[in-house]
Amino acid sequence: MAAAMVAGCAEAPPASDPEARAEYERANDPMEPWNRNVYNFNDSLDKAIIKPAAERYRDFVPDMVREHLRDFLNNLRAPVIFVNDVLQADPDKAYATLGRFIINTGFGIGGIIDIAAKDIPRHDNDLGETLGIWGVGEGPYLVLPLLGPSNPRDAFGVGVEAYADPVDRVPSNMGYYYVSYVRGVLVGVNRRTDNLDNLDEIERTSVDPYSTVRSLYRQYRQSLIEGKPVLEKPRPGYVGEFPKTMELSKGDN
Amino acid sequence: MLVRRLFLSAGLFLSLTFLFPAPVHADADMTQAKDVVAKLSKQAIEVMTSKGVPDADRVERFRGLFISSVDLPTISRFVLGRHWKTASPEQQQDFMKLFEDMLVYTWAVRFKEANDQIVVLVNGTKPDGDQGVIVDSSIVRQGQDPVPVLWRMRLTEGTFRILDLLIEGTSMIVTYREEYASVINQNGGDVNALLDVLRKKTVAMAQQQNAGQAKAN
Repeated sequence: MAAAMVAGCAEAPPASDPEARAEYERANDPMEPWNRNVYNFNDSLDKAIIKPAAERYRDFVPDMVREHLRDFLNNLRAPVIFVNDVLQADPDKAYATLGRFIINTGFGIGGIIDIAAKDIPRHDNDLGETLGIWGVGEGPYLVLPLLGPSNPRDAFGVGVEAYADPVDRVPSNMGYYYVSYVRGVLVGVNRRTDNLDNLDEIERTSVDPYSTVRSLYRQYRQSLIEGKPVLEKPRPGYVGEFPKTMELSKGDN
Repeated sequence: MLVRRLFLSAGLFLSLTFLFPAPVHADADMTQAKDVVAKLSKQAIEVMTSKGVPDADRVERFRGLFISSVDLPTISRFVLGRHWKTASPEQQQDFMKLFEDMLVYTWAVRFKEANDQIVVLVNGTKPDGDQGVIVDSSIVRQGQDPVPVLWRMRLTEGTFRILDLLIEGTSMIVTYREEYASVINQNGGDVNALLDVLRKKTVAMAQQQNAGQAKAN
């Protein structure tokens, strides 16, 4: 086991080469050889099963059905998002999530119609982000089997959420274990379908998709924690502040 | 008396302007930076979606547009990072050429697929250091949430050129730098290894582009 761990570690450049060292530390990937193996495993699985499934889902299931399934799955995530909004001491976001959940569950027929979206835009949130805002560092880059790019902080967040999410917990306690598995598969297919174009673009243009994904994931997570894109993007959670697509396209550059 | 004061203040003003070169954040500069983005995205979509133009011409016209609006020398140096210094002048030249091809084929297809369905809206500008401006824009596609894109612009030779694109918090040039550093390091620090894979990749992308066009026609 120890030997396997050692074998899985990349060799750090010597301290006598400070620039190489800086580059190595910037990549933040001491377990790169191991991570690359997991990445390749995920990639083979993706090419053999997940991607074809996502493509069939996109090509054969009508847009309307997919849209409502996405709305339904998003609504199920609301309790977790709400708790994280609260943990981040962000009353505006928490209020928006709570409002959306009540409106969509009631008037949106159990969440299959995101009827609240036109007044209160959706935002996502997760425990990894909360921990980051609290000052917990990301730790070394980690590729998880099936789940893909991560790090100890975000992986811990995913684990706690999977355990504590009431939408999974309550049915499981009642003996309906399959509920969380079905939900997991649906969320996975939905997420992969949303990313079909993005991942195809990476495949088309990158000479090393592994490091491209690593870089994008780390920058994206960091920007969420620093709140940068939220500042540039009209901040979700404020009613009426987010310009509608139609209003935007009226503008003349 | 009055005249003397006028001269004094004029002198003071002049010396101040020489001491501190004017920052580029005058309104006119902001507007110019904004116009570069608006014009580039508009023309790029026009060039790539215009009908009745041979495909090769289309890409070459896009290349011309691209080179005039992007600060390629600066970006190339940044992207190659510490390996720029160890690379020979020939390797540097090769890299710049290949990286240009990479960017051109990457973006030509994106603008082509954009069609008329896409609008780049410039929301505003803000200063970025002394010689730079960040242009804040949204890429709006039919039926999808707008994607916020920030363009880092820098004043070189009197015009604003693009230095970086920030899409949802990710920097284009930082991503390229890490990708290429990874390839070089995987090959024991050999810049030629990167040049080889880039050469293969850009050739493949050019062929793909032509194949896609042939199918479309």
